[in-house]
Amino acid sequence: MKGPALSRRGFLGATGVGLAALATTGCERVGRFLQYSSSRAPSSKVAARRDLTDIYSICDNCVNKCGVRAHVAGGRLVKLDPNPHFPKSRSMLCAKGNAGIKVLEDPDRLKHPLIRVGERGAGQWRVATWDEALDFVATRLKVVREKYGPQGVLFSSSEGFQERFFRTFNQAFGSPNVCRHPTLCLASSNLGFFITYGTVPEYDIENSRYIIMSGANRLESFITPDSIDLMTVTRTKKAKLVYLDPRFTVTASKADEWLPIRPGTDLAFYLALIHVLIEEKLYDQAFVAAYTHGFDELTAHVAPCTPEWAATETDIPAERIRAIAREFAYYAPRAVIYRGRRSSWYSNDTEMRQAMAIANALVGNWDQPGGIVPKDAIALGSVELPEPPYPEVSSCDGVSEEHPLSRFDDGNYLDMRRHILADEPYPVRGWMIYKQNPMHALPDRALTETMFRKMDLVVVIDIMPTDSAWLADVILPESTYLERTDPVEGFNAPYPFIALRRQVVPPQFDTRPCLDIMRGLAERLDLNDHFNYDMDAFIAAQLAPLGLRTDDFLATGHWSDNKTRAFGATRNPDFRFKTPTGKIELANERLRRRGFDPLPRYVAPTQPSPGQFRLIVGKQAYFTHAMHQNNEWLHEICPENFVWINSAEARRRGIADGDWVTVRSPIGSVRIKAYVTDRIRADCVHIPHGFGQRSPGLRLAEGRGASDQDLIVPREDRLSGNAALHETFVSIERA
Amino acid sequence: MSDERPRRYAMVIDGRACLNCKACVVACKAENDVPLGHNRIWVNQTEKGSFPFVSVQMDPGQCMQCDNPPCVRVCPTGASYIDADGIILVNPAKCIGCRYCIEACPYAARYFDEESGTVDKCTFCRHRIDAGQEPACVVTCPTKVRVFGDLDDPDSEASKLLARNRVEVRKEEAGTEPKIFYLS
Repeated sequence: MKGPALSRRGFLGATGVGLAALATTGCERVGRFLQYSSSRAPSSKVAARRDLTDIYSICDNCVNKCGVRAHVAGGRLVKLDPNPHFPKSRSMLCAKGNAGIKVLEDPDRLKHPLIRVGERGAGQWRVATWDEALDFVATRLKVVREKYGPQGVLFSSSEGFQERFFRTFNQAFGSPNVCRHPTLCLASSNLGFFITYGTVPEYDIENSRYIIMSGANRLESFITPDSIDLMTVTRTKKAKLVYLDPRFTVTASKADEWLPIRPGTDLAFYLALIHVLIEEKLYDQAFVAAYTHGFDELTAHVAPCTPEWAATETDIPAERIRAIAREFAYYAPRAVIYRGRRSSWYSNDTEMRQAMAIANALVGNWDQPGGIVPKDAIALGSVELPEPPYPEVSSCDGVSEEHPLSRFDDGNYLDMRRHILADEPYPVRGWMIYKQNPMHALPDRALTETMFRKMDLVVVIDIMPTDSAWLADVILPESTYLERTDPVEGFNAPYPFIALRRQVVPPQFDTRPCLDIMRGLAERLDLNDHFNYDMDAFIAAQLAPLGLRTDDFLATGHWSDNKTRAFGATRNPDFRFKTPTGKIELANERLRRRGFDPLPRYVAPTQPSPGQFRLIVGKQAYFTHAMHQNNEWLHEICPENFVWINSAEARRRGIADGDWVTVRSPIGSVRIKAYVTDRIRADCVHIPHGFGQRSPGLRLAEGRGASDQDLIVPREDRLSGNAALHETFVSIERA
Repeated sequence: MSDERPRRYAMVIDGRACLNCKACVVACKAENDVPLGHNRIWVNQTEKGSFPFVSVQMDPGQCMQCDNPPCVRVCPTGASYIDADGIILVNPAKCIGCRYCIEACPYAARYFDEESGTVDKCTFCRHRIDAGQEPACVVTCPTKVRVFGDLDDPDSEASKLLARNRVEVRKEEAGTEPKIFYLS
């Protein structure tokens, strides 16, 4: 976000302008799209304070799922506060969490099932009853299935407590074509750690004394319980935070050391760090001998990766790299290279994450306080489900051939789109989308839109008229997280516990939870066997082995049998890591078997030609992806995004702060305002993600700011197939 | 509350721990039905220096809950007043919307609510205090930038912080005697 240069009055002024413009442009078209209720009447909450009922539930405005305490009066949600008992989030609720009331009350919400009547994307709909809409979808699904087989339907979804029901329906329907979010998210990071440790571990930041972080802007992009711990240990000087990023982010501003690394060179930094750990014998020799595999091969591999070599690649002085390696080893095992949450940047992203995993292993921080820790969970029961049919063909993204190490059951989004557009190896003409917005999630929106237009049937299940919903044939409105009870969910930090998202208010409109929608469809497609339970029965089956009932969550919103994190259980010589050798693999046998290099090999990234910049992306904590830009309280904080450009580069182009500029990439161009700043390197520009929404149904967000996905050239991380988002060069000039 | 002695409510703010995540701003908006276009609390973010020697500062601001409040002095109707616990409040029944107080406040902490025709501002969430809860901004803050407490109670977290740390107040020269203290 632009943030700093805006005065308070300035930004309020800008908001005012935006609202005025909307009043004259947005409404007529929107009126056709949605039936508005005019019954929104906020009452005085202040007076009602005394008559409140508190309900503990769980937020759903991002992946973290913080505990909330909902204050309800007379069946109305008055306020969301943090649930102070919730072990993970403790007493925090971020801006999005606090704006949950406006998720519920958003006047642009999807309020009824809608069936398209005009051209696709023209915004002409008719309101349908649930029976009508479900009949319509079931009939069309059957048509697609008859013509193309069950594989003719693609199922796309993102994480959420009810996503499992969408997945069950997908499996019962028999389509192998799945696209979950990981290949637009953490697939490379997860894979780099998974192949090394046989698991994707957690971090014990709270007890760390030294933290190295690459680009995971945890104090700005995403305010979570991990952010609390990072800030606590940094602020109290318990830990030193070393932060690598081409941008001076908020995280950089709170770090003890900011290293403005040249984009694309993080792997060189980690290889040099490993070089120093080995050369100076700073690694944990006993741990490496007992628990790891391939040390000699690693030693030979990093021999040429001196800090002097890395300095020319990264722009980080060799003596700093040496010093950081020594400090990292000195504080170990209470020292970590923290991966955070970042999507892929470059085509070598898995190798870069693998190098992080290796460096962590060398200092022996595995399963130690302040180090990285294996996941732990409380086992829940489940309902009995029949075995789903085994798909007769493999998925059309070709993931098992092209990215054999990636998780095939998550699918590969960019490959899927490419194959579907080319009808390879078979046609896909149906698209069921749950809680996902492909128009903003995938690089190159024009291609994504072409994919939408190729379909015979697109069904979107969501709570808002997103850019993707706008291109659907049928929209099935889901009840928001505040209007439904969800299955019990397990958490593993700071110790294993389980919690329940409990309905706070009844559905405010004609919406249904995902389970009910799936049951309705299953009934019409003779797949009832897979859905012979309702939510109560599902939860009862989950809790049965623990002897718990839903009422056991009333008092604090969660339950745990053991209120401490256990350390060291896996640090015994008999423990087998889930890797081919049973050890932490410094030289990777899974990779070797598949014909890949077992060690992370650095290839210098192509640099932008003169006059061009590398486009780097990122997020702001006010929004999850493209989810909250239409929320009126969050919109007010940040109505549009800006392109960050280094001030010297801006001067050279005659660009002043706030000027309109055109940013061009090989696939498109956008018009956006400039944020001229010294907080970014001269060789890159930055555009925060999630803006430039097109759906006229989003009356606040439509047309504000620009979408990075109109610029990013679709590229993949080689190993995981994750979308590599920083491989695009752009030019920028005054508009 | 059973103990009826007057309090001296204050807040200690550690701007160094502030991430400008705006959780407090939205919590305040939700708690107090603050109309769009206005805020009772805010965070100003500023930056200094040239690449790569840059810094970013966060400065959370709001009504300073002054002990010597110019807003109360200029109010012609007594609508702006200091309550028994030292909190500056506006009685909407008495407010005629003249906005003298908005001009008088050195901290730009008050706004005119067009809908009600009266002036409004931070109340320290008086209604929450009455219900035994801390202000919404304090409760929600992820990094616990804000510590609320009674200065007459030496055991309150706020009193302890003031006793142990160097603090500053904003625009001390204005003589307003704020009860929002900033760790420095």
